[in-house]
Amino acid sequence: MTVMLTSPIHSLPSTPIHGGLSLEDASLAARRGVRGRHAADHLRDQGLTVPPVPNQIVASGDDQWVMALSRREFWIINPQQLATAAMPDSTAIASEVWPLYCQHSHSWLILQGAQRADVAAKLCAVDLRSEAFPLGAVAQTQAARVSVIIAHHTNSQQQPVFSLFVDQAVSEYLWLTLQDAMGEFI
Amino acid sequence: MTRSRLDAPFGQWIDRSESVDIRFEGKTYSGFMGDTVASALIANQQWLLSRSFKYHRPRGPLTLCGHDANTLVQLPEAPNRLADELPISEHRVINAQNYSGSLERDRNQLLDSLGRFMPVGFYYKAFYKPFGSWRFWERIIRRKAGLGVANLTIEPRYTDKQYLFHDIAIIGGGPAGLSAALTAAQAGASVLLIDDQPHLGGSLNYHRFDIDAAERAPTLNHLRTQILDNDNIRVLTSATCNGWFTDHYLPVLQGSRMYKVRAKACILASGSSEQHVVFRHNDLPGIALCSAIDRLIMLYGVAPAQRLAVLAGNDQAYLTALNAHDAGIAVCGVIDMRAACDDANLVTALQARHIPLFSHATVFEAHANSPGHQLAAIDIHRLDSHGAVTEHWTTLACGALAVSSGFMPAYQLACQGGARLSYDDGSALFSLTELPEGMFLAGSVNSIHALHAVLADGAHSARQALRHLGLAPVDSRDDGVSCDVSVNHPWPIFQHPKGREFVDFDEDLQIKDIVNSTRQGYRDIQLVKRFSTVGMGPSQGRHSALPTARLVAHATQRSVSETGVTTARPPVKPEPLGLLAGRRFDPARKTPLDQRHRALNAHMVPAGNWRRPAFYGAPQARDRWVQEEALAVRTNVGLIDVSTLGGIELRGVDAAQFLNRFYTFAFLKQPIGKTRYVVFTNEQGVVSDDGVAARIGADHFYVTATTTGVDTMVREMLRWNAQWRLNVDIANVTSAFAAINVAGPNARAVLDATDCSIDLSNDAFPYLAYREGHLGAIPVRMMRVGFVGELGYELHVPSMLAASLWDMLMNAGDPLTIRPFGVEAQRLLRLEKGHIIIGQDTDGMTHPGEVGLDWAINRQKPFFVGRRAVDIVMAADPCRQLVGFTVNSTCPQPKEGHLVIKAGDIVGHVTSCEHSPTVGGVIGLAYVHPQDAAPDSLFEVRTDQGVSVLARVCALPFYDPANARQAL
Repeated sequence: MTVMLTSPIHSLPSTPIHGGLSLEDASLAARRGVRGRHAADHLRDQGLTVPPVPNQIVASGDDQWVMALSRREFWIINPQQLATAAMPDSTAIASEVWPLYCQHSHSWLILQGAQRADVAAKLCAVDLRSEAFPLGAVAQTQAARVSVIIAHHTNSQQQPVFSLFVDQAVSEYLWLTLQDAMGEFI
Repeated sequence: MTRSRLDAPFGQWIDRSESVDIRFEGKTYSGFMGDTVASALIANQQWLLSRSFKYHRPRGPLTLCGHDANTLVQLPEAPNRLADELPISEHRVINAQNYSGSLERDRNQLLDSLGRFMPVGFYYKAFYKPFGSWRFWERIIRRKAGLGVANLTIEPRYTDKQYLFHDIAIIGGGPAGLSAALTAAQAGASVLLIDDQPHLGGSLNYHRFDIDAAERAPTLNHLRTQILDNDNIRVLTSATCNGWFTDHYLPVLQGSRMYKVRAKACILASGSSEQHVVFRHNDLPGIALCSAIDRLIMLYGVAPAQRLAVLAGNDQAYLTALNAHDAGIAVCGVIDMRAACDDANLVTALQARHIPLFSHATVFEAHANSPGHQLAAIDIHRLDSHGAVTEHWTTLACGALAVSSGFMPAYQLACQGGARLSYDDGSALFSLTELPEGMFLAGSVNSIHALHAVLADGAHSARQALRHLGLAPVDSRDDGVSCDVSVNHPWPIFQHPKGREFVDFDEDLQIKDIVNSTRQGYRDIQLVKRFSTVGMGPSQGRHSALPTARLVAHATQRSVSETGVTTARPPVKPEPLGLLAGRRFDPARKTPLDQRHRALNAHMVPAGNWRRPAFYGAPQARDRWVQEEALAVRTNVGLIDVSTLGGIELRGVDAAQFLNRFYTFAFLKQPIGKTRYVVFTNEQGVVSDDGVAARIGADHFYVTATTTGVDTMVREMLRWNAQWRLNVDIANVTSAFAAINVAGPNARAVLDATDCSIDLSNDAFPYLAYREGHLGAIPVRMMRVGFVGELGYELHVPSMLAASLWDMLMNAGDPLTIRPFGVEAQRLLRLEKGHIIIGQDTDGMTHPGEVGLDWAINRQKPFFVGRRAVDIVMAADPCRQLVGFTVNSTCPQPKEGHLVIKAGDIVGHVTSCEHSPTVGGVIGLAYVHPQDAAPDSLFEVRTDQGVSVLARVCALPFYDPANARQAL
């Protein structure tokens, strides 16, 4: 029997792209997390670029991004690589460096388009306009009453996007809510 | 139909090329695109729009800008909408409200003649004696009270909210606001300009400003063009800023949306409210503020009547007379309450137009036409040197009267921010001081009225805001703007022996009502407000606050500045609750198997904030499905989605030590590969959560928690470890893992059919053991559990593999007719087994001894959370005990929550109860008096309709007391 990773929102209708505004489900793309006192050093030892302060995301290598959620918690995301069906690591990677389960705990939505901040402003109290939330910024906040991590970075076409990481149990809800918010712009 | 229409350029907001018909009170009226309902009706000589709240007096528009309650009308979808704000393009069917019979012949107008029997505060003094009489009166009063009728059948419209972020929010799009916006935007600030009218310009749209009307239009066009061309300015028209909250957090209502504006600074250019004059019958339709008459003429091209009179308390009112005359309306007189006009040129202008001037006089009484629905004439009386009314001068026939006694700053937003409104009794000038940091005033709200000064004040306020934001040099010299135009008449109140001089139109309050309030001891303006209800109507005191303050000051021998005005609170204007609610956000959590359940026709129910299958099948046959599902588990095999179970990982050298301190049991010596039941007691000794701890490695535990308790558990763990500083990483992995429980005598057979890499034999994988391996290619964590009392395996997998695992198990179990079961069957099965559910069989007072969890308390270890409290409460004499019970099948079945009664007192309640096909009867759990806790004791349960049922205590569990089946 074929084993497949299944995104919680795989069966929902996608949003038609209009005027460059689109919402994409990237939940099957690879991501992993590490946490612990030596997590930053561990990532640097791995040759990764680590943001100097929390709530930032930086490119590391060709397709990879490293996102700092605190001084001791980091997510490494790769929108170009598919995740595997293996059991995520659970034991210590190095001294006081623990793996996190963000591949499965959080869905990954990508909101793209010039009006992405206007869409987000209908759901989220944080000012996500580029003046206040430039490329490389990360916000750990709430949108439409659910916790969400929003990262501002570029995609493979060098277009600015918001990556939204939300608890997979409410990802269907957030997907539909975002589509509703996008309605007036498309 | 449009005999009252004036030719262009009057009527700048209407499009005469597009006629629109509306129905008002069943009659058809014509207007033009751009009209409001009120302007279109007045254009058809229909001044009568509503009936007053208390006396049902005929009322017409007062302000024509949505600032008074006289224009409240009923729409099919909603009551209490303001006719002077409703565009006729969007609202075609309108009715009046608050009348009995017809608007013209309101039977309740009888109340007007009974007014003397309804003095202020009579509500508080009548109706409650003799005892019980309120019940009689309440029915009548409730029928009479209220205005429109809510339509409960209509589909609510879609409303939502959006945040806006700007450097400066400017409230008011009049000349001051436009000037401020331009100055700020040109300096690089991001500006939000908010105005409650459909077009920018404020008074520049309608007010004459100078005798020759030379300044208004060019100034407006110049400013508006520049505003619209500036990319730094966002304009919101037909938008109301309805409150000011700390740090310039502003709710702005526009259409179906509430904007939640976050600004760094705020410029209040909200203008001022023109004040009416208090004289007998000053509420007749046709009597309106000068600004309202100006709006009618300039914006909508409507002549208010064939003959217009003007009652002036300031020079501005003269400009209304000039405006009306130049529009071709017969101005039959200007009555000036002052001895002389400030600007003599205005008198010359009146003379040039042959408009009679009655100086140092007032309107003492207004008279209605024969149906009583509109003004017909006014009695003019002379005033003496103290401003008191003396002899009758003349009577003028007129269909409309424009009045202006002055302007009161639109102070509401400033005062919501803590500002203080002061009044100088000598100069009759207002001032707002003690503004919150970052709020600045501009224009007439700042008591600046001359146009050139208003524009300069707008620019000045913008520079202040820019300096506040660091966008302009702090030390740059910028003197404030002053203005010597006097606009407020000191005493525009003329008491008549027959009364009916209205101070507050919303609440039908007259001079005597306010004065009598003070005579009853309510000297404080706040108490006068509460006793008389002055200022508590939809207008929120815009036109009643000043005359009330003057009357209270006079009656109590104080000054207006000493009396003050009532507190301003949000909202500034009435707001639909739908806008406050916004879009409905209801983030229900769904497991990764949600679509599988729906495909199997599951009946989904809330479980905490999750949605879970209650059972599989139509809800009408609920009992059948639950019994069949339970039977399948007992006799064959079933599977249930338990992904909602909380999951917590503890990793680190102190992980075992942490668990040992946190939970009641002992964990230091827990073997790797074993699970152990966990109970958490809070600091009050109350059982708060339970679950299972699996030891994966020496420094690694995987702990489950209840569906609704996991967030609290994680929070408590983090809180306690902030004190203990143990070397342990605590991670909430609830969403990272999904879980499926395969239970029943054939559970092992199902798993064996899945290419399972784990030896499932009882020796290799005994009850309460933990193993890791693969089912086919799916990596799993497995626990031998027995919650439902059968051979059972709980399989935990990464969430995105849950669907594959479910499909694999269903396929493997198909030859055995495996059956999914829901939470209802699970609850029944665990009840048969006597297992409690935290939160259902426990409450906020339950200690371990009451629910038979003594065995889960390790008293050998020195500490666990709640230890001291547990020792204390369990040492005390118990007052209740959770027991199992059965009832005779002929008795009504007790339900959860039904009370347990002993000697007439409540001693407990039923926590769980269900019919068990396995046991063959009704079984349940209940708290009973300890004296009744022994097996075979009888206790009384009060069921529905008060029917008492005798229940018999049973030893737990009801099913498989030897626990043989779960260890198969």
